[in-house]
Amino acid sequence: MKSPKIILGVALAAVAATSACGQGVLGGDDEGGDDKGPIVLGMNVPKSGSSAEIGPYMENGAQLAIEEINAKGGVLGRKLQLRAEDDGCDPKMATAAANKLVAAGVKASVGGYCSGATLPTLPVFDKAKIPMVIPAANSTDLVAQKLKHVFLINGTGDQQTTAAMAWLVKSGAKKVAVMHDNTSYAKDIAVRTAAELDKPGGPDKAGIETVNPGESDYSANVTAVLKTSPDFIYWTGYYQEGGLLTRQLRQAGYKGKIMVADGAVDPKIISIAQGENADGLYATMTQMPDTIQGAQNWVAKYKQKFSADPGPYSPQSYDAVRVVAEAMTKAGSTDGAKVVTALEGINGFQIFSGPLKFTPDHRLSEGGFVILVVKDGKFALQDSLK
Amino acid sequence: MSQLIWNGLFVGSFYALVALGYSMVYGIIKLLNFAHGDLYMLGAFSGFAMLGAMGGLVKSQSLLALFIVLLLAMLTTGLSGVVLERVAYRPLRRAPRLALLITAVGASFALEYGTRIVAGANPKVYPVRLGGTTLHVFGARITVQQLALVGVAVALMVALHLLITRSRQGRAMRAIALDPRAALLMGVDVDKVIARTFFIGSALAGAAGVMAGGYYGKIDFLMGFIIGLKAFTAAVIGGIGNMQGTMLGGLVLGLLESFGTHWLGGEWRDVFAFGCLILFLTVRPTGLLGERVTERV
Repeated sequence: MKSPKIILGVALAAVAATSACGQGVLGGDDEGGDDKGPIVLGMNVPKSGSSAEIGPYMENGAQLAIEEINAKGGVLGRKLQLRAEDDGCDPKMATAAANKLVAAGVKASVGGYCSGATLPTLPVFDKAKIPMVIPAANSTDLVAQKLKHVFLINGTGDQQTTAAMAWLVKSGAKKVAVMHDNTSYAKDIAVRTAAELDKPGGPDKAGIETVNPGESDYSANVTAVLKTSPDFIYWTGYYQEGGLLTRQLRQAGYKGKIMVADGAVDPKIISIAQGENADGLYATMTQMPDTIQGAQNWVAKYKQKFSADPGPYSPQSYDAVRVVAEAMTKAGSTDGAKVVTALEGINGFQIFSGPLKFTPDHRLSEGGFVILVVKDGKFALQDSLK
Repeated sequence: MSQLIWNGLFVGSFYALVALGYSMVYGIIKLLNFAHGDLYMLGAFSGFAMLGAMGGLVKSQSLLALFIVLLLAMLTTGLSGVVLERVAYRPLRRAPRLALLITAVGASFALEYGTRIVAGANPKVYPVRLGGTTLHVFGARITVQQLALVGVAVALMVALHLLITRSRQGRAMRAIALDPRAALLMGVDVDKVIARTFFIGSALAGAAGVMAGGYYGKIDFLMGFIIGLKAFTAAVIGGIGNMQGTMLGGLVLGLLESFGTHWLGGEWRDVFAFGCLILFLTVRPTGLLGERVTERV
């Protein structure tokens, strides 16, 4: 099939690339066709719609990693290039954006924030044999289909639920109400948490309440929840509704504790909830730039480059690019099947949440969830649950 | 129970205020102005910009500032409504209804994403919030700020009612609603009256926008979409084109949502409210107080 010369060339290229000084002249020979230009990584992120502010955080995080890797010579001797598309956190837009990326010939996907919008893009990439390393979206639905090319590097719903339950028990909650906005991601965590609460022992379930995202007035939901007299409320949706709910719960005289899930961790939730309403608000969250020990350098680099603070999922997007680059380097190729094998073989590669190793169903073996608390108008680390 | 009723009435008064603009425009030129909810959003954003510009005054005299901003934002939003009518709707007034309807949808997107370009996609938080003490009335928790907002909403609706029933302006509006061509022959300046109608309707939506900003605190460029749909529903429940009916429709929708959430849970709220709407319209297609059956879209 191949002449010995070419095989030798590939091997040389692989060696050159692995040693990360890669000017591998013959890199990626097995691809045929477009192996001269940069390796394009696709990224679906919301740049419009209700989660529009997350897109730039993620894009910048990925861009930072790409520039670092390119400065060291790129991958397999080729430069990396990012191509970000707006998925609007909307399934229809996301599918169209994914098709666009596939048509543009991306070699891997490093995007995905809203689980509901990421889910329909999985078959698009999978069919095209393009590996996906999803930095943020973390509904367990994403890995339920066991697609070969799909990897998650954010903790998933059940890992988040475990963290939430650990904190509920630790902080002595008795009657917990769970609220969600009926989106794939939020409902997943809410239903799992409710199921855990239903088990004998530990805190009891006060109720589970659904709100409609995108509205301003949640007084009817607040009244319904408070009727069940909870002493702890867990909101698993996103931050805009989270801020409004926190404020409206406090206005309605609720004195108990409130906790939110990772989708609601954004500085804006504090200003929407207004001042002291947000004080003592807990959150289950994966590692953030300012809660990661020893990430100060990284944050400084980010700030210098983009003249803005990194936001949620900047680090995870940065990691997604690095993981893909590592896998391609190890595989010595950008071929989908080989990269997937390399991804499965990764063991102990350092990312922000700790040493990376994928479980057989392509999730993190360690969730890396921590508990944050709002103190002086900022999210700070409360408990790392270790 | 009393809490549920109060929740419903409070939300309902917002719906009613926005629905009035829908209903007025429909009553006069039979146009479903789908951009109306976005005028509400525009009101909230212009209020936000003005509060930012006022700076120091906002800190020392926040209530006064909010009131001034409310009036100014009504003016701005009203004028935007007039411009919208002049640019997007007037040239199409004799075009098929469907063309006008699509233009309205287009205007809605233009306003939403235009605002996004100017103000950014991130939600904004109002610098002034209405804080207030809580009163307990018949077991319901009512805050003073809620009472004030409902008071403003009612005052605006009463003023509108007087304007339509008592003034010359109002008579001209009603005349056009009955028959635009005859009104024109009788010497009514139809274009001017329609422009005024847009001004009033948009100003009311703008007022609701500023009030929502001041009360809930969060505004974003898509905030007008859902309330636009709800207001449209409220107008239909009450009888689109009929002012009292529209106000009543807003309150009824608020109550339906409040009780729907209570009885069936949040996820069933809209199913319940809109199920009631369908049921209701099959029995009474003209709405609560609608008189004439109009067959045009």
